[in-house]
Amino acid sequence: MARVELNVSLNRVEGDLELAVTLDDGVVAEARTIGTMYRGFEQILIGRAPRDALVITPRVCGICGTAHLYSSALALERAWGAVPPPNATRIRNLCLMAEGIQNDLRQTFLFFTPDFCNPRYAAEPWFDEMMAAFEPFRGAIYLETLAVTRKVVQIVAHFGGQWPHSSYMAPGGVTLPADLRRISACRAVLDDAQRWYEQRIIGAPLERWLALDKAEDYFAWLDAPAHAASALGMLSRCVRALGLHRSAAGAKHMLSYGAWRDPATTDADATLLASGFYDGETGAIAPLDQTQINEHVRHSWFRHYEGGRHPWNGETIPNYEPGGDRYTWSKAPRYGDKVVQTGPLAELLIGGDPLIASLNALEGGGAWLRQFARARRIAHEFLHARRMLDQLAADLSGEHFIPPANEADGDGYGLIMAARGALGHWIKIKDGVIEKYQIVTPTAWNASPRDSAGQPGHWEQSLVGVEVRDPDDPVEIGHIIRSHDPCLVCTVHMLDTGRKVHFNA
Amino acid sequence: MKTLFWLQTGACGGDSLAILSAEAPSFEQLFASCGIELLWHPSLSHAPMKRFDALIENIASGAQKLDILCVEGSVVTAPRGTGLYDSYRGRARMEITRALARRANIVVAMGTCASFGGVHAASPNPADCIGLQFDRETPGGLLPADWRAGSGLPVINIAGCPAHPHAMTQTLEAIAQDLPLALDPLNRPSAFFSTLAHQGCTRNEYHEYDIEDLELGGRACLFYNLGCQGPLTQAVCNSDLWNGVNSKTRAGVPCFGCTAPNFPRETDLFATAKIGDIPLRLPVGVERARYMAYKNLARAAAPARVRNKKMDV
Ligand code: SF4
Repeated sequence: MARVELNVSLNRVEGDLELAVTLDDGVVAEARTIGTMYRGFEQILIGRAPRDALVITPRVCGICGTAHLYSSALALERAWGAVPPPNATRIRNLCLMAEGIQNDLRQTFLFFTPDFCNPRYAAEPWFDEMMAAFEPFRGAIYLETLAVTRKVVQIVAHFGGQWPHSSYMAPGGVTLPADLRRISACRAVLDDAQRWYEQRIIGAPLERWLALDKAEDYFAWLDAPAHAASALGMLSRCVRALGLHRSAAGAKHMLSYGAWRDPATTDADATLLASGFYDGETGAIAPLDQTQINEHVRHSWFRHYEGGRHPWNGETIPNYEPGGDRYTWSKAPRYGDKVVQTGPLAELLIGGDPLIASLNALEGGGAWLRQFARARRIAHEFLHARRMLDQLAADLSGEHFIPPANEADGDGYGLIMAARGALGHWIKIKDGVIEKYQIVTPTAWNASPRDSAGQPGHWEQSLVGVEVRDPDDPVEIGHIIRSHDPCLVCTVHMLDTGRKVHFNA
Repeated sequence: MKTLFWLQTGACGGDSLAILSAEAPSFEQLFASCGIELLWHPSLSHAPMKRFDALIENIASGAQKLDILCVEGSVVTAPRGTGLYDSYRGRARMEITRALARRANIVVAMGTCASFGGVHAASPNPADCIGLQFDRETPGGLLPADWRAGSGLPVINIAGCPAHPHAMTQTLEAIAQDLPLALDPLNRPSAFFSTLAHQGCTRNEYHEYDIEDLELGGRACLFYNLGCQGPLTQAVCNSDLWNGVNSKTRAGVPCFGCTAPNFPRETDLFATAKIGDIPLRLPVGVERARYMAYKNLARAAAPARVRNKKMDV
């Protein structure tokens, strides 16, 4: 058996990661994800005024700061018993949806599709078509994506003052109410973006696309002219022709914190798309129970503790030990003792999108379905963003901010679906300042290392069995890692004895 | 054509995403029509990573000319000055940054992290973050205070968390066209740092009459109670609106002074530190002795529409 050591790095992702992989006869036998950057946000927050989290935590991530802000605001609200008025929830949802549309379009057309413009595919029948649409800085869809996403984030700016990085959500609501001018301006932006999505990305009106609910119907659609010529149609055919719908399913269990808070209720746990834990063995969906969440550090560069700890009992104390069997700055979050994946596929499957459920039942969740779910989620984002605007327009005199009645010490958490999946912030406030703050990001779930029981994380599992055709150009790894919408600049090392190949892709 | 290489160190990617919002010129226009050739950008480059490695090597050896090096993110120096808390293929990014800076004709720090250390350098600074040529307010960061790039210029600090999109693209355009770039004492291009965030804020009338909010979510000024740094912060946020439409203070979010080297300040970011009744830090150039008298007069003179916060923002 030929075992090889490769060293692959991936750009077009956010952040830093390496992945150590054992390759046997060209097939990935084992993988380890290695987070290579440590900044220490959780330590910076300790001892600060609780609201400072609204300023500090959005800076964790430039592409999903609204999501961090939202988690922070929810955590503070829970700690202080504050309840935001319905209009605040509508504005928060709207901004989160706009950030989601931005992310889903950029991830798909700036980060994922350029891989299909790889010279490896020059002889494929679809290559010229892909180049014309997706070639970076040249392809039509690429350039249009830059233009459309630039406009879409204006929606966040209308309410938050700027995108990225603002702090307009606070315990009790949002800093600026909706008015006719803002509603009208946001509607115009959404209208244009939606029309572009309908015409160029899916080739159908939104309602028709959302009404499509069976796998067979989608496959029939793939050859129907309008969708076939659209960006998603082209991408689906090409990705499926490469067999990426059958590869890299990864962890079978999925987790969603539920998309978008329901403004019609004061129940902070009620969401517009349901939350839950999808059991990949039984296909059953259980209600979400945040007490089941825990993090392991057995293989991480943090001060050791036994087993997993719930974030309220967690700690983040760096203990850098290169060279041993600890290999990453990422902790290993688990749900109970289960390895889970999260992201748009989990969000739509648990949230009840029938087409995603049908495709998942038929083929399982491979790299194609993960990417497909992301493109499909954009339709839900448009639909709900418009609803939020309509509801705001119908209730213009509604409150947007109710100051918390007291700011007592206490514990809180905020769980939301960020663009990349389940994001949670846990806070403990003591003597009026932050005593403890823990953040579990979506990428921590997906890029998790092994836990105390030795179970590999989701990416580590999803790469196993993947055939790397040309070790000098393992573009398959790029497809798979990027289909997860990683929030890391990835380096993939493949380690072991035997042939030693140095490789960059 | 001027070559540009964009390097990320301890970053969140926010400056890269902010620059995609620039419209005049847009990021794409820099390459399509402003005379810049993009050698590398970590989020956008299409070429495989072997191109990145080759570029680093060729620039370091001098085989590849580098006109503009943009650095985004704090320079991570932990543990113990090795920089290995932020590595690329086992090599500290700190070292890669130094190697590229040595060859660049112009080095631009994109954002407050690269300029001064930024949010990652906030106390207790767990990753020992510094800026390229400043450590918070202190001159000298990864590069010493007297360091100069090939052009003779120090590191150009486009401060901001994130940097304003146009402060980034317009500076790059000016560099591409060899226009002279005046810098302020913090090495920020004066064109983008000689106006206050306060100028152009729609809450200015409330500020003049000292009508202040005690809670977030209101219409009035945020200076006296809610920590707004607008009158103390050099930034174009209110004169060249974000995303073409708005600014934080217009939206009721206090200015946190993110273009300053001490961002984020150590005290409560949503509160105004005061001596007695008077803010500890007054607007740039204002005399403390006269301030209270002036404010009392202004408040007494406030018209009802302002006093009752009837004016929209
Ligand atoms: S809110 Fe801030 S920027 Fe606006 S007027 Fe008041 S002090 Fe100036």
